[in-house]
Amino acid sequence: MPYLFVAPNMLIFLTFIIWPAIRGFQISFYDSIDGRTFTPVGTGNYRSIFGDPTVAEVAKNTAIYVVFYVTISTILSLAFALIVNEQKFAKSFFRAILFLPVMLSPIVVGLIWNDVLDRKVGPLNALLQAAGGGSPGWLVEPKLGMIAVIFVGVWVHLGFYSIILLAGLQGIDRSLLEAAAMDGATRPQIIRTIILPLLKPTTLVILILATIHGFQSFDFIYTLTGGGPLGATTLIVQYIYDRAFQTPIQYGLGSAAGVILFMIIFAFTALNFLLGKKREAI
Amino acid sequence: MNKNLRSKLAIAASLMLSVGLVATGLPSAQAESGVQPTAAQLAAWKGKEITYYFYNDSQAELDTTKSQIAAFEKLTGATVKLDVIPYTSLDTQLQARLAAGNAPDVARLNNPGLYIKDSLDLEKYLGRKYAADFLKGSTLQVTHPTTKKLIGVPYDLTVNGPFINLDMFKKAGVPVPTSWNWATLVEAGKKVQKATGSEYAFAIDKSGHRVSTVMSQFGAFMVDKNQKNVLPLSKTRAEKAVKIITDLYKADQAPRDLWIGTGTKYSSPTAIFLAQQTPIFFSGNWQVAALEKDAKFAFAAVPNPKELNGGGWPGGKFLVAFNASKTPDLAAYFLYYLADTAQLEEMDKKAFWLPTRNDLVAKGIKYATRASDMDVFLADAGKTPAAAYGIQSVPTLTGLIYNKLRDLMTEVMAGKITVKQAIQTQSEFIDAQLATLKK
Repeated sequence: MPYLFVAPNMLIFLTFIIWPAIRGFQISFYDSIDGRTFTPVGTGNYRSIFGDPTVAEVAKNTAIYVVFYVTISTILSLAFALIVNEQKFAKSFFRAILFLPVMLSPIVVGLIWNDVLDRKVGPLNALLQAAGGGSPGWLVEPKLGMIAVIFVGVWVHLGFYSIILLAGLQGIDRSLLEAAAMDGATRPQIIRTIILPLLKPTTLVILILATIHGFQSFDFIYTLTGGGPLGATTLIVQYIYDRAFQTPIQYGLGSAAGVILFMIIFAFTALNFLLGKKREAI
Repeated sequence: MNKNLRSKLAIAASLMLSVGLVATGLPSAQAESGVQPTAAQLAAWKGKEITYYFYNDSQAELDTTKSQIAAFEKLTGATVKLDVIPYTSLDTQLQARLAAGNAPDVARLNNPGLYIKDSLDLEKYLGRKYAADFLKGSTLQVTHPTTKKLIGVPYDLTVNGPFINLDMFKKAGVPVPTSWNWATLVEAGKKVQKATGSEYAFAIDKSGHRVSTVMSQFGAFMVDKNQKNVLPLSKTRAEKAVKIITDLYKADQAPRDLWIGTGTKYSSPTAIFLAQQTPIFFSGNWQVAALEKDAKFAFAAVPNPKELNGGGWPGGKFLVAFNASKTPDLAAYFLYYLADTAQLEEMDKKAFWLPTRNDLVAKGIKYATRASDMDVFLADAGKTPAAAYGIQSVPTLTGLIYNKLRDLMTEVMAGKITVKQAIQTQSEFIDAQLATLKK
């Protein structure tokens, strides 16, 4: 009977996730320029990827993005969750504001920030100039481009992670916090010794989710920078997209890159999970 | 423009466009065309549906297309499902649809060479003579490279060229150019920028196709009609042309953010021109309708700068029917209907297109407004050198060659490589691409 209840979901999961993943793995051993005729190439696509000099650049960009995105997202979402949790005034309003970017289409997010960050006519640089600053080329300088992309990525997901952490915070027994306060513990002490340890399982979820989101980031980046300037914000998913869908189409190569991405995400998720389990055991 | 001049220009355009065909030796159409639907066909089409994969440069194109579809549906009893696609994802979506076995019946494309294998042989449905209805040069891109059969219809002819903001030129006291070269264009742009305080002096579509115009004006070309790489023959000229553009971007006199900050995507500075942030906008005649609708200032198309050559750079949109269509005869007839004299004349007039049909070229299009702008483009079509059509001899590679040039220019603008290196790399890329044709 329980299998019957999960059957509809499993059917969708098998049809739209598992089956395409298997097909993608299979296609990664073929060459196809139109998705209709396939020529077997063995491990040729994988060798091409590892022999492609742009892959090293893409891997570096992805690593930088993921490390900063995951770290900043986790710290900030934790901070916001703590602040909002303590909020007495207009609690719902601030939560809604925090969550608002999550509800925006990533494409729209990219377009909005593309306007905001425009070097000459963007409002951000107008503010900076009014404050006596310069006009940084957010979308023109490779390093600034990466900073812009990380910032927007964090901005988009912050509300989502904060809400999850907020739920975790509200699950903590208040009597523990009150007892600590009565014993004279300061607020930082309570956070460090009670809240953070009890919030570890939720934080682990955030870390896993942020890592996955980090590796999968594409849509808002595509409309924000298009992977530029000079490929500085081209991450692995855009590499896959470019190979698979931009002329000249190389479905096999795109699929092989997709398989590699899957393996990376799987490895990171497993590692996070194992480390979390180990900490819990301790 | 008076009738005589219009006729002369039309003949000039026709002659220039014909050069490509004569050179490649395509056979002329011979058989009779039989395209009027029979009663049996009309009965068979009743209730059938075809999909039209479409993108538009202006609202006028979309509105006219919708009204023509309504008339077609009334005539045939069939239904046409209009799929409106953004230009930036035109090829990406279509290639994915073809791969997924979900091909539309008919599409409006600007790069038909990518779909040669999937395109319907129109001669089977519209007769061998049908191709002769169109300017010969414009059918090159929709002629099958080996069978030489017509696989698409030239729907509109486009010519690249500059627009200027007349109000800004007037304010700056800079006369409107009637003829100029690149040095005077750049000088005029900088003068207007200085006088009006605009953000930029110049802007051009982020497109290798548009930059090819500048190269052509300096006498540099990439591929000739015999599918040979001719860039090594005109490297210095190509470098001059590319340097003019990249220098403007490097000096911040053109919108760097739009070119460098958009990765490997196409982008157009139309919004920048409309916001009066640049006095000169280099694009093409397809912008006229949108600019007429949205510009809150006086603007005009002005002649292309002349160096060794004048004129623009040829391009256009094409109607293609796909061989996966379940009703190929209906798809072919829909395509024929859209490109017949009456429908095309209506579209040319309303959307400011240049005609591709010989009869319309001979007759001339009477545009209700912006006729002087269209005359400028038409005149430039006549001045376009024959060598500009050479690249159309490799329809499957044109997009790749243009995009590579665009991306190399990005690297030059960002100071990563020199113009010389860019042209050298472009030449090597062309050689590598042409080699794939022999495989």
